[in-house]
Amino acid sequence: MLRSHFLNMILFSLLVSVFFSFLTQTDRKERLKVMMILCLSMVVLSLIIAYAMFPFPLSAPR
Amino acid sequence: MPSKAAEAFVSCLLAWLIPGGGHFYLGKRKRALVFFLVIVATFSLGVANDGRSYLMDRQQPLTYLATFTNIATGPLELISRQATYHTLTYSIPADENDPVAVQLVERMRQKVRSVTDEYGTTYLLAAGLMNILLILDAFDISIGRKD
Repeated sequence: MLRSHFLNMILFSLLVSVFFSFLTQTDRKERLKVMMILCLSMVVLSLIIAYAMFPFPLSAPR
Repeated sequence: MPSKAAEAFVSCLLAWLIPGGGHFYLGKRKRALVFFLVIVATFSLGVANDGRSYLMDRQQPLTYLATFTNIATGPLELISRQATYHTLTYSIPADENDPVAVQLVERMRQKVRSVTDEYGTTYLLAAGLMNILLILDAFDISIGRKD
């Protein structure tokens, strides 16, 4: 069981980016490029969204 | 030599039976291996993280789509269904007082109580969605629309 949200996010991003790079590209260099762009954008965008949500409380104030 | 229609049918069927099987049949061996590893890894992470397979519930129409996505993973999906419900069932009885429905809901709740259930269920759905794309890709390759 992986309890770390961050580790799950990294693993999920890696698996999905490898899948889509092999699905959409045939050239080795292009695959690597697409893989990096997809993986990084998923991780970075998730961190930005997480950071933007930080000020909001987890539950409604009483 | 099989006709294009037969080749398309066989490749789609193999793609559903074994992730990457359609590509292997069409001669894309390296790609097939990568697809197989990625989908099996995603699916395994789903099972390991206490992911749950969906059941078709008349009161929640979206469960039909989720169950279809689970089934798209192929026979591999039977493992997660067995792990979730201890039986191979695909729908929940309409009568919520039915003992079978009560038992299924209780087994589903046991999974939901797990801390990692959300992650696991997402992995399982992602594996199914990726396999749907592989089936469509195998179809495109077999009819010559794609290399």
